[in-house]
Amino acid sequence: MTPQLARQLEVATSAHLTEDQFGELLAGDAQQPIPAPVQAHLLACQKCAAELAGLRESLSFFQQATGAYADNELRHLPQASLPDRPMRSPVLAAGLEPAYWLAAAVLLAGFLPMQSAHRNALPPAPVAASSDTGEIESQSDEALLNDVDSELSASVPASMQALVDPSTDDTDISAQTSTQRKD
Amino acid sequence: MAQEDIQALPSTDLTLRAHAGARATPLDDLECVVALYQPRVFRFLLAQLRDRDAAETLTQETFLRAWTARASFREDCSVATWLIRIALNLARDHTRTGRFRFWKHLSASAVDVAEVAASLPDREVSAEARLIAQQQVALIWQTVASLSERQRTVFLLRFLEEMEIPEIATVTGLPLGTVKSHLYRALHIIRTQHSTAAHNPAFSDIATRNSESCISAAKEAL
Repeated sequence: MTPQLARQLEVATSAHLTEDQFGELLAGDAQQPIPAPVQAHLLACQKCAAELAGLRESLSFFQQATGAYADNELRHLPQASLPDRPMRSPVLAAGLEPAYWLAAAVLLAGFLPMQSAHRNALPPAPVAASSDTGEIESQSDEALLNDVDSELSASVPASMQALVDPSTDDTDISAQTSTQRKD
Repeated sequence: MAQEDIQALPSTDLTLRAHAGARATPLDDLECVVALYQPRVFRFLLAQLRDRDAAETLTQETFLRAWTARASFREDCSVATWLIRIALNLARDHTRTGRFRFWKHLSASAVDVAEVAASLPDREVSAEARLIAQQQVALIWQTVASLSERQRTVFLLRFLEEMEIPEIATVTGLPLGTVKSHLYRALHIIRTQHSTAAHNPAFSDIATRNSESCISAAKEAL
């Protein structure tokens, strides 16, 4: 026996396989060769070999049973597929096409006279505005815009102007205070 | 796409490609896509959610989303990987709602573990061996339910969908190391439960006899 083989045999028989080695054996790439020490251990250790074989068998059963169960369940499901032709409404699909068109015609025949009657009942549309009215409107719009501009450009808003003038403010406040005291 | 890339595609993708012909994407022929991948998507969602109605609804939703977003399919992964990724995202959104947790307790469409175990295909074995095989299925099914969401996802993608670890990383968006870590933890939990059950005399007697043939086969392979 060569020293290398003796060392491998020692490793193989000294301890059981680790979790990672088990994981690699069960879930690793089947094309990859099993490392020599692991292979030697499996040949020497009946316990690890039996456990590995049992787990592989259980996992295989699990796959077969789950697959068979799912296939069986799937057979009872409606098969999903795209419709070959455009979807038709239930009315048309049920062969009620003539009745559908008749109902549409009746509705249309009833709706059109109502529309014309409604149009006749409406007050006459206003005559196009004269050029004078247009000028007045544009002037008032400009005045409004100017007001807005002046409001925005003012350092103090008009509503706060009273607070800026202290003399007016003080007088008013003192007058109000004295009035309240008298009351 | 290069010739070697085409050779690397799964046969189902090649079928789709042949069907697609001059179409813009392999997903344009929805009928063909559904026929090819519906069993796989449904199986994954059923095992992940354990609810028939939810699995059915989300399977349909998966194909609807895939159809709507088919222009964004860049063919940097297989159609199956892309569909499973959509299904996984939908399942994740679905399970995060409190409503799902509430209805799961009351749902009549919840999957019964006994039904799953009984679905194990018939084998040329004794009734006793078949019973123990069903117990093994039930044990794994129940243990998978106790795994964390990520562990369960990674486990199902590996052992139910038989995806390779890099493919699982693509589907889940997790780094390879993280995928391995979740997978090994999941296997550790399953192994622990398996060994506990194996100490049960009724389970272990037949399981030992069942696995003896497996060991001899494995030794021959080594």
